[in-house]
Amino acid sequence: MEKARTHLMLCTGTGCVACGTPKVAAALQEELKKKGLEREIEIILTGCNGYCAEGPVMAVYPDQVFYQKLTVEEVPTLVEEHFLKGRPYQKLMFREHEKKTAIPLLKDIPFFKYQVLLVLRNKGLINPEKIDDYIARDGYQALAKSLTAMTPEEIVKVVADSGLRGRGGAGFPTGKKWELGLKIKSDVKYVVCNGDEGDPGAFMDRSVMEADPHAVIEGMIICGIATQSHKGYIYVRAEYPLAVKRLQIAIDQCYESGLLGNNIFGTGFDFDLEIYQGAGAFVCGEATALMRSIEGKRGMPRPKLWRSAVKGLWDRPTVLNNVETFANIPQIILNGAEWYRSFGTEKSAGTKVFALTGAIHNVGLVEVPMDTTLRRIIYDIGGGIKKKGRKFKAVQLGGPSGGCIPEELLDIPVTYEDVKDSGAIVGSGGMVVMDDSNCMVNIAKYFLEFTADESCGKCVPCRIGTKVMHDMLADICEGRGKEGDIETLEELSEDIIEASLCGLGQSAPNPVLSTIRYFRHEYELHIKHKWCPTGVCRDLCTFHIDEALCKGCGACLRACPSKAITGEKKKPHAIMQDKCLHCRSCWDTCKFNSIRILPAGVKNIEEGEIEILAGVAAESWPGTAKAEVAK
Amino acid sequence: MIELTINGKKIGAEKGSTILQAALANGIKIPHLCYDKRVKPHGGCRLCIVEIEGQKKLEASCATLAAEGMKVWTDSPKVKRVRQTVLELILIHHPLDCPVCDKAGECDLQDLVFQYGKPKGRFVREKKNAQPYTKGPLLELNSNRCILCGKCVRLCAEHQCRGALGFIGRGFPTVVQPAFGEALQCDYCGQCGDVCPTGAIVNKSSKFKTRPWFLDEKDTVCPFCGCGCTLTLGTMDGKIVRSKGKEDRGVSKGDLCGRGRFGFDFIYSENRLKSPMIKKSGALRPASWDEAIQYIKERLNKLSTVYGPSSIGGIGSPRCTNEDNYVFQKFMRKVLGSNNIDSQAAFGYGAAETALKKAFGRNGHRTDLNSPLGKEAILVIESDLTVSHPVFGLNLLRAKREGSLLIVADSCETKLTRHSSRFLRIKQGTGVALLNGLMKVILDRKLFDIENAAAVNGYQEFGRSLNEYTLDRVCRITGITEKELVATAEAFAKAGKRMVTFSVGASENTKGPDTVLASGNLINLLGDSPDAIQIPAENANTFGLYQLGVRPDGGPFYTEADRGKGVSEMLYEPGSVKALYIMGADPAATFPDSVRVVQALKSLDLLIVQDIALTETAKLANVVLPASGWAEKYGTFTNTEGLAQEVCKVSEPPLQSLPDWLILEKIASAMGMKIGNNDRREIAREIGSLNGQYNSQRVNSRSFHSVHYAAGEECDEGYPLTMVLRDVLPHAGSISTRSKTLNLAVSEAILQINGRDARRLGIRDNGHVKVSSRRGSVYLKASVSENLGEGVVYVPAHFPHNAVTSLTFNSGRGGNSTDAVRIEPA
Repeated sequence: MEKARTHLMLCTGTGCVACGTPKVAAALQEELKKKGLEREIEIILTGCNGYCAEGPVMAVYPDQVFYQKLTVEEVPTLVEEHFLKGRPYQKLMFREHEKKTAIPLLKDIPFFKYQVLLVLRNKGLINPEKIDDYIARDGYQALAKSLTAMTPEEIVKVVADSGLRGRGGAGFPTGKKWELGLKIKSDVKYVVCNGDEGDPGAFMDRSVMEADPHAVIEGMIICGIATQSHKGYIYVRAEYPLAVKRLQIAIDQCYESGLLGNNIFGTGFDFDLEIYQGAGAFVCGEATALMRSIEGKRGMPRPKLWRSAVKGLWDRPTVLNNVETFANIPQIILNGAEWYRSFGTEKSAGTKVFALTGAIHNVGLVEVPMDTTLRRIIYDIGGGIKKKGRKFKAVQLGGPSGGCIPEELLDIPVTYEDVKDSGAIVGSGGMVVMDDSNCMVNIAKYFLEFTADESCGKCVPCRIGTKVMHDMLADICEGRGKEGDIETLEELSEDIIEASLCGLGQSAPNPVLSTIRYFRHEYELHIKHKWCPTGVCRDLCTFHIDEALCKGCGACLRACPSKAITGEKKKPHAIMQDKCLHCRSCWDTCKFNSIRILPAGVKNIEEGEIEILAGVAAESWPGTAKAEVAK
Repeated sequence: MIELTINGKKIGAEKGSTILQAALANGIKIPHLCYDKRVKPHGGCRLCIVEIEGQKKLEASCATLAAEGMKVWTDSPKVKRVRQTVLELILIHHPLDCPVCDKAGECDLQDLVFQYGKPKGRFVREKKNAQPYTKGPLLELNSNRCILCGKCVRLCAEHQCRGALGFIGRGFPTVVQPAFGEALQCDYCGQCGDVCPTGAIVNKSSKFKTRPWFLDEKDTVCPFCGCGCTLTLGTMDGKIVRSKGKEDRGVSKGDLCGRGRFGFDFIYSENRLKSPMIKKSGALRPASWDEAIQYIKERLNKLSTVYGPSSIGGIGSPRCTNEDNYVFQKFMRKVLGSNNIDSQAAFGYGAAETALKKAFGRNGHRTDLNSPLGKEAILVIESDLTVSHPVFGLNLLRAKREGSLLIVADSCETKLTRHSSRFLRIKQGTGVALLNGLMKVILDRKLFDIENAAAVNGYQEFGRSLNEYTLDRVCRITGITEKELVATAEAFAKAGKRMVTFSVGASENTKGPDTVLASGNLINLLGDSPDAIQIPAENANTFGLYQLGVRPDGGPFYTEADRGKGVSEMLYEPGSVKALYIMGADPAATFPDSVRVVQALKSLDLLIVQDIALTETAKLANVVLPASGWAEKYGTFTNTEGLAQEVCKVSEPPLQSLPDWLILEKIASAMGMKIGNNDRREIAREIGSLNGQYNSQRVNSRSFHSVHYAAGEECDEGYPLTMVLRDVLPHAGSISTRSKTLNLAVSEAILQINGRDARRLGIRDNGHVKVSSRRGSVYLKASVSENLGEGVVYVPAHFPHNAVTSLTFNSGRGGNSTDAVRIEPA
């Protein structure tokens, strides 16, 4: 085999593929051929690189130069410049926002600089569809070690000592789960991998399955050895076709290589693995519902009369872990528990992968030690709030089961305990950053709409409770809120948490509780003053132009879809209230902060001022906040 | 046993029981809406939540195991608060249409809300207002009232193994309905309605008829099959309005099938007899009791004097009480002096009893409804016991769920085969060959205790008789593979506790005494107790009727009696008797080869029919006497377990009708022979005293009886298909066909035919066909089904108007045999 002098690691994660990687790859290949470089330079299609914000992305090795936003049009210049003339092509390099200088090397880019890659160690470095790539990066060595040099008890002990906790959200100690699985005697036991990632905005598991499927498979086989089980299922939602495809390729390769099937490594150990595709019900991410689904039944959680480790899939002992948990296992086995504990904190050891998304610069997949603070993740790795003039408002952690964490708590580390104390949960790792254009009541409503829709309907508190909560939030957002609603929401939340059957219902009120906890004022404005200061809730706002600030640029006039804005050039504009749709386009467009959002029914700014003075604190008026930033 | 504390009170509980079960067993009430002990815990209603000391969260007591030393509070302030919230949530969208809800007054939800007080009313939302789901003959589903406890869904799927209902949709909009919006066509057991805690499943037949508080409720025994389930009848103004199964009552422990639940209205059918009738110039005309009795007395006396007492015969009824039947046989034997007495049991249970007596030397073989439970292996031969004996069938299904190996040999797919561990698809009527084949394997492989078996009479001869049942031949006859045969034999022979079970009866034609004898051989070979054979009696009082001597070959309680003529002579050999007294039987419609039966009946000098309705037989009678039906008189039915249970009078009989036993006593005294004092209790006492004597007379001597496989009626070019008779739900015998409600579900015999046969013969699904046998032809509706194989059709014999029995023939050996038929599109 010829050895290439340069490797181009082209990301084929879902995000980059959507942005055009396949076309770019073809163009690159063609261009290299044209220039006669196809033997010297090899294109490697890798799994998700993690820096999804600016795809398609590519890393050049051994130079370590990182390119983003590749286009077919730029390919000839790139090849000409970098690979022929040896001048890295600055135009496609990463630039910190508002700074001109390009950062050529991947390791210098802040997004990558602060990350510690254990689970994602192979991201962007291997072709997930080639088992040899994985093996070259120490793949299946942990399996060999487990099979030949360790007893099941020893494996369980290493995992327990490592302090690894379930990465699916609940944080149950993995070692303890495996220990139960090993202890219980049964002729048939199962290992199940939960790949039914369903939180809005979360894509950690998908990326792991797409970028490094063999790590998950290796982790599962090791679990099989540790719990003396010989059959595994990977439950992946059908909406993840690429993950399904790559896992299937990986499984097939394992069977071909004798890493799955009978008599693995000639040790007499058998393990079979198959993929089961979920039909897209959020509740099937719940362990017992997932098992019912694999059994071919309606995916509904069952009461935990028995632990799954005792009676799980088909009433047999079953160890179920999340994708990320399994992907951690090979490294722990190879490097030992102590090594793993050196990351993170005492109670939350190791690293956690987060899907960082929302109103920040660097959207993508990040892996950090669990003692990293939220501020570091959002500002250093994420690059801070993207939109000019907007301020950070909250970060939503843990999806529909989680909560919103405000600015003042940004210095907490992302450990299970600290995040839980803040009212959110680590969950599977979705992290949605919100700026101050977001209405927190509306956010709560959004999540309750999600849970009410995804509730399986089995238990009363979840089925009816989430619907009632959603209806109340909708009422508040539409101006029908009444005194006492906040307290009722709190009381109801408490009872829903107490009485629900499964994790879905028990955590469904979290988004409401945490927003009430940190943004109670915003709820009160909605209820008492019929005012959504962000202008998100259309029925609770009016839009006005501050004549003193308006420069008459006409931007709002052009943006207004209902032609509600009038005014001559360079003269203050005005909004005709009867035509205004409350779509907020003018506010989003205005560069001079001249649009003010006032309570519903207010006819002009003066009237609004009076109303606001009558009892509404001024700091919650976004117009004010915006003005400060502008200064 | 473990000990835990509930509300400060120490209680003991079985290990493995949930907190709720432990509490209920100790009389501690915890509210619950979705728990039913017959199905797995659901944990959906969240009302049974309790506080457990040391646990952060409240737990559902139905789904939490009781543990040693656990301290539980079932009504702490926190529990109460959350429970109230849950109830409040349930009521938000509930229509609160209690004033027009049939359940109001006995609604669990209503009771709980009453107990926990008016909700705070924090949430006011629109009430649910969907149209009720009325597709289906018997039940209406009102999703507005449904609280989605899922008891109906789970009971139907897990307990009944039917799965007709499902949760449709997800979350709040979920409704309970059949899949794909189809009509609710199921087994019609109606159990879903019984378990519904609210009024979401409405019984159409009793909808808006009454309020529960106006009902008088009384427990009685079901009049249909031999299980003898307890029905709780609700009556208003002397009329039955509804029938329910109540938890833990009777042998059925609250389970009921559709006949018991919906079929009671057969006693209100329009053709009930209201007065005695005497045939004058070819037509039956109303007469007074005196006239009728006088007429009977004169005619019987005359015939007896001219032709002798043995010219008179009698046919009793498994629908009549023990008192009726006892007096009937006494009337025949003592008053008329004739031993010609028999019943429909001759085609089923009676023949089976005779065979069992041969095999085990004992009488009164009982079938324990709970016998399947705890058996390691169960062999079912060509029967769908979930249809013929639904509540017994439930125990077969439960045994399978609890780990028994359920082997079902049948020629078509049934609910039982679908839920079996092993389905042997044999050809119809080859049960004997299968049993012989199994025994041959057991013999050849020495899977039995030779010493034990060799000590049984006839062992050598029996062993030789099996020689011709080579694997090859058995497989050719039955159509199963050698592998299946051997594996089944091994599994069955090696199992610890075993049983063989199947149904017999006039409405079936694939099993007979030979099947019983072959099963007896199997049990004798393996050395099991005779109780390992379980052949349930077909009708409500078949067991009692036979026990009390309504048979030609023995008196009450299996005493010896001179042999008289049986049905095979009386009804199939014209001239063998001159007069027949038929009580509660309809041979013209239900006995095999009805054409011949009708000829025989027509040739009689005197036919007396005593029945509740103007049956096909009654139409041929010289005199018809109106009898009070089930639920219109007191008495006892003996179920297949041998348990005599009281039948209550809850409904007013039609004006002139009288209990059967009273009619007979009246005729006897008119004839100058007093056989009673018009006192039912006296008869019961007399039966009781005889029963005591019998108990000491049980004998037990086993023997082998070689039996050989005999094919049914031979098919040829003219009659190329084989017709199998098989019951269909919700019917039992022919009386259920007089129930208007059951007829809403199924009102005619539908012929089932395989798709390939249907195509070949040009028969459409739902089209009409002409079915002809060597004895006659009838027109039926056809249903094309893939459940059965080629060359065979399935027909139920319930419906007199379909006259299916005119196609069949009496094998003369106790029971029917399969019939060769020809099917043409009509």
